[in-house]
Amino acid sequence: MTMVPQGGSAIARGGGGNTSSLYDVLELILDRGLVIDVFVRISVVGIELIKIDARIVVASVDTYLRFAEACNRLDLEAGRNAPAQLPDVVGKMVEGGARGKSKGALSGAVEAVTDSLTGKKPREEEPEEVEEEEAPRRRRPARRPVRREKE
Amino acid sequence: MALYVYSIATEGHPRRLDGLKGVGARPAPLRSVTAGPLSAVVSDISEEIRPKRRDLLVHQEVQERLMADGPVLPLQFGYIASDDDAVREVLDTNADGYLAALERLDGCAEYHLRVAQEDEEPLLRQILEDSPEARELNERIRAGDPDPQLPLALGELVAREVEARQESLAAGLVQALLPFAREHVVHPPTGSDFLNLSLLVPQEQKEDLLTAQANLVREIGGGVALRLAGPLPPYSFV
Repeated sequence: MTMVPQGGSAIARGGGGNTSSLYDVLELILDRGLVIDVFVRISVVGIELIKIDARIVVASVDTYLRFAEACNRLDLEAGRNAPAQLPDVVGKMVEGGARGKSKGALSGAVEAVTDSLTGKKPREEEPEEVEEEEAPRRRRPARRPVRREKE
Repeated sequence: MALYVYSIATEGHPRRLDGLKGVGARPAPLRSVTAGPLSAVVSDISEEIRPKRRDLLVHQEVQERLMADGPVLPLQFGYIASDDDAVREVLDTNADGYLAALERLDGCAEYHLRVAQEDEEPLLRQILEDSPEARELNERIRAGDPDPQLPLALGELVAREVEARQESLAAGLVQALLPFAREHVVHPPTGSDFLNLSLLVPQEQKEDLLTAQANLVREIGGGVALRLAGPLPPYSFV
């Protein structure tokens, strides 16, 4: 089968109606793709915008101090409206989410997402969670660990 | 004459490239080099290429034009063959592998997702709300306790929480989007991103993926930004 012809480049369109940057796509073009060893690769050093940043290091004294300062500055009384609470998110995702077979996986993922936002296990007394109990609860995905690099 | 090589497709691919020009300061037209069942899309280059950003975009544009008409194997940017024979030899030698890859990629495109904590405040707020220890440290500092260890202890605790929460969110997002992909690759994140994910998505799953992603964007909040690009040539799956 064939792909639907695209109106203009994905770069220009910014991807799926979202905020992907040119930078993100350039990194793919430069770093991935088929490599043919018997061909010569031209030097790409000269291209501006090619510097690919290493991941920002979280475990360093500088970061600690920065986080501490950011916490000190927070006005804790002001905004208590921060991240969405999990059970709400789960419910909405299940009804509004992708159709059909993706449903189970989505609610499982949202649970993981929710855990991560609240930093705790879903509270058992939440009435909104009842519908979830019908199916065996999907816990944190155990499949492929996310690879990360720390410098 | 040396050739810049863009892409490999089957010989039967229409390779409609009219109007497109190749890389370089004096771009040559695009053409094909064919060997048996495979063709490579190339353009002649007469001088040493000093690549510019523009050339990256040309490289990308060729792939996008080709992928509209059937599967392609996009080369990484910047590969030069010495002449047509060198290209034919590569196509011959690796024919089985390339044909298998083209079949595997048929009807699919790459979607590339990056996730970053764009606004830290909601996350820090939540951590302080959840952790009495962090809250206490924070309050002591704000009350003027001069102990220099306090900010370090608070920062370390918060950093650990941030990392754990982002890791868990990243794993959750991968899990949420996997059902729409035939294959996926998790790359090491760069910059301030904490997830760098490529999905190989069959055409018929595309709408579901976009719906799921839009829902995730709406529901996650908390200062987290998702950047999705696609459909793209399958750079991460060749």
